[in-house]
Amino acid sequence: MSGPVLSIRDLTVKVPIDGETRTLIDAVSFDLARGEILGLVGESGSGKSMICRALVKLLPSPAIAITGGTVLLDGKDLATLSEDAMRAVRGAEIGMIFQNPTSHLDPVMRIGDQIAEGIRYHQGFDPREARAAAVEILGQVGFPDPARQYDNYPHEFSGGMRQRAMIAVALSCNPKILIADEPTTALDVTIQAQILRLLMDLRDKRGLSIILITHDLGIVAQTCDSIAVLRNGQLLEHGPKRRVLAEPQHAYTVSLLKSHPSMPEESGGTPLTPAALPIALQPLLEIDDLVVRFPAPGLGIFKKGKTEIAAVNGVSLRIMPGETVGIVGESGSGKSTLARAILGLTPLTSGHVSFAGSDLAQQRRQTLAKLRTEAAMVFQDPYNALNPRLTIGDMLAEVLKVQGNTPAARIPERVGELLDLVELDRAFATRRPRSLSGGQCQRAGIARALAVDPKLIIADECVAALDVTIQAQIIDLFRDLKTRMNLTLLFIAHDLAIVRNLCDRVVVMYRGEIVEEGRCDAVFANPRHAYTAALIGAIPDIDPDKPLPRGDLPPRSEPKAAPVVRGQPLISMQ
Amino acid sequence: MHRYRFVLSRPLQFLPVLFGISIITFILVRLIPGDPARVLLGTRSTPTAIARIRAQYGLDEPLWLQYFYFLENLGKGEMGKSILYKIDVLKLIATRIEPTLTLVLTSVALSILIAVPMAAIAARNNGRLADHVVRIVSTLGIGFPPFWLALMLIILFSVRLGVFPVSGYGETLGDKLAHLVLPSLTIALSLSAVLTRSLRAAMIVALKSDLATAARARGMPESIVFWRHVLPNSLVPTVNLLAVNIGWLIGGTVVVETVFAIPGMGQLLVRAIFSRDYMVVQGVAMVFACATVLVNFLADIVTVSLDPRVRL
Repeated sequence: MSGPVLSIRDLTVKVPIDGETRTLIDAVSFDLARGEILGLVGESGSGKSMICRALVKLLPSPAIAITGGTVLLDGKDLATLSEDAMRAVRGAEIGMIFQNPTSHLDPVMRIGDQIAEGIRYHQGFDPREARAAAVEILGQVGFPDPARQYDNYPHEFSGGMRQRAMIAVALSCNPKILIADEPTTALDVTIQAQILRLLMDLRDKRGLSIILITHDLGIVAQTCDSIAVLRNGQLLEHGPKRRVLAEPQHAYTVSLLKSHPSMPEESGGTPLTPAALPIALQPLLEIDDLVVRFPAPGLGIFKKGKTEIAAVNGVSLRIMPGETVGIVGESGSGKSTLARAILGLTPLTSGHVSFAGSDLAQQRRQTLAKLRTEAAMVFQDPYNALNPRLTIGDMLAEVLKVQGNTPAARIPERVGELLDLVELDRAFATRRPRSLSGGQCQRAGIARALAVDPKLIIADECVAALDVTIQAQIIDLFRDLKTRMNLTLLFIAHDLAIVRNLCDRVVVMYRGEIVEEGRCDAVFANPRHAYTAALIGAIPDIDPDKPLPRGDLPPRSEPKAAPVVRGQPLISMQ
Repeated sequence: MHRYRFVLSRPLQFLPVLFGISIITFILVRLIPGDPARVLLGTRSTPTAIARIRAQYGLDEPLWLQYFYFLENLGKGEMGKSILYKIDVLKLIATRIEPTLTLVLTSVALSILIAVPMAAIAARNNGRLADHVVRIVSTLGIGFPPFWLALMLIILFSVRLGVFPVSGYGETLGDKLAHLVLPSLTIALSLSAVLTRSLRAAMIVALKSDLATAARARGMPESIVFWRHVLPNSLVPTVNLLAVNIGWLIGGTVVVETVFAIPGMGQLLVRAIFSRDYMVVQGVAMVFACATVLVNFLADIVTVSLDPRVRL
């Protein structure tokens, strides 16, 4: 290795707001060697994405500007390069991939054309040569039939394949450096492992240097050579991976490492055993052979009722009062549909859901009424799930009014209590969701669920959109609430580590069916089904000596997965 | 490609739509107060003459039978005879449809030619002077009534400058187009204003979108980012807006045709309504309705070709 490919010195980015100048990036310096993978770690707002945007000078607003420092790439200082000269750097020397491949790929342009576009522009190839080159790159990033898939549109692929396409676009002009901004955050854990493998393979084959932006220390531990920890635009710590993980110098790094869910704090997080709860012979929620089918989309009126997709296919589950049950599975496994079916938000095709003794299929009206007063849901995206026009106080008051159990005069007091319960300051009652952070917003969402005074709360991926330290806080809140209020909690997540931390029992879903179910510690220590094992194995561990698995799913015909799922997921990888 | 399969199946859905249209136009026309026979005879009307005319046109039959005849004739490709012009309605429409069709087509083409560059300039200079100018111009375009715009254009281009004819419709193609410049411009000025506003808004969103950022991040110059990525991704809502407006325009050329004395469908319809010429009103309404259905069908095809995600 001869000298760094990229050398950043005192990079400073500032933005003027209301007459003041705010510093977004504060004199950050680091080097990137050839073939090195650097993990840039920090929470949202720490400036990790901003640094990378500054490197290619694609800052999100014209007001934000690089005010000092140098970015040396092969002796050129990118910080002072003209816009024209920058265009030759972008794509050709520094490629970028993004968190959300769906929004970063042009939906109305063929995948291959998006790759060929850069090749034609930067390398002056004619259309035929560019196509051949693009087909080759598609093959390299793992498209099984690149010549044919060149002509497909992004929406025809799964999330993982879209991210592969995005990588292909970034690689199209043979860059020296690849900036990957949270490339796997939107993906399932098994797909994440595949994409990380791909990035490491590409590094080995092409000698790429990669800057990997992530909030997940597990990913860093598994893939990176060195780690840079950022907070509030400042580089707190930078060094080889093993040193930073083993002997973190900065207190913030220590707290980041602690909040990583693969290292549960044994003291605070002992799951409650069902035996310790008041004895209840009657399950609160009983699901018996539940099937939910949807008509397959995209068919004309003449083929009605022909093809259906079974989102939930013969699921049986009993949940006792006071229990905390985690449902895990990848996207498309039917876990959200199950949650919606339980609350009567989607019609049941067959089977039974009974809540506190009344059957949703047979006594629909009474059961729905019961569900609406005794069960509540917390949603994944707190901003979208809260009405942006209502203040938090109005929103909570609305629920209390509809429920009708709180006298009108007592509502403001009760709103205050609810905010106390979720550890939000009472002053938040007058604020609107837009002015809250993600974590505060989710607390408000939980307060709304609690306003119902429910027996059962269903939380659907309610921490997936949050930073790790905030995730840990929300999980703590749930743990606290369930003991204090004797809640029954159905916790849906794709993140197994969180479920393991919070839940007594775990249910693993795969293609609409339950493939494994049991006590959390037992399942995680000794998974019996190959799919569960694959899911657990694919979690990037914070211990760098545990190798990252390939993330391959078991073959479809697993012994215990016996019944074949009717219908296919909307987008399959083939 | 199977995403275009709806092109084959959709026309079958038109049948019930057209059937509904035929019932509605038939009944609505008969709800107009007044007696066509009386109108036709004018001052010469005597009870016997009226009775004779009513028998001749089948107006003395019960309504359901009249509707049945109407459908039977439609099946044969006939729409009855005009009371006023004494010729077959379809033939009458055939002579009048060309000026209207040409007017609509030239207006739409002109609107697109104005709207796309205007929206592009405004969106790419969002918040700057050019953007404000475009926004003011398009607000004015929506605000001014077409009859007033038409008169102003006549005064400026025909009377003062003498470039284009004042009114009427020509014989040769070049002559016809010369006569259509001012009428199409009148329509295009307000239509393009509506389109510009919608397109500008979509373009501003698309310029800030992730896909545009990604294109810039692979080194594409701003012009390629705009024309190859932003434009195709902002067209769909405007295409549908255009379709709605064309549907409205087909029936709404009346004002412009009247001001410019163009012998088109609008003029024919107005005259037919005043003279209670049932058959013509029915025929014209049917043609307008079919054209609207057809335009929306075409808009669906364009939408699907613009966005591969759309399934119809």
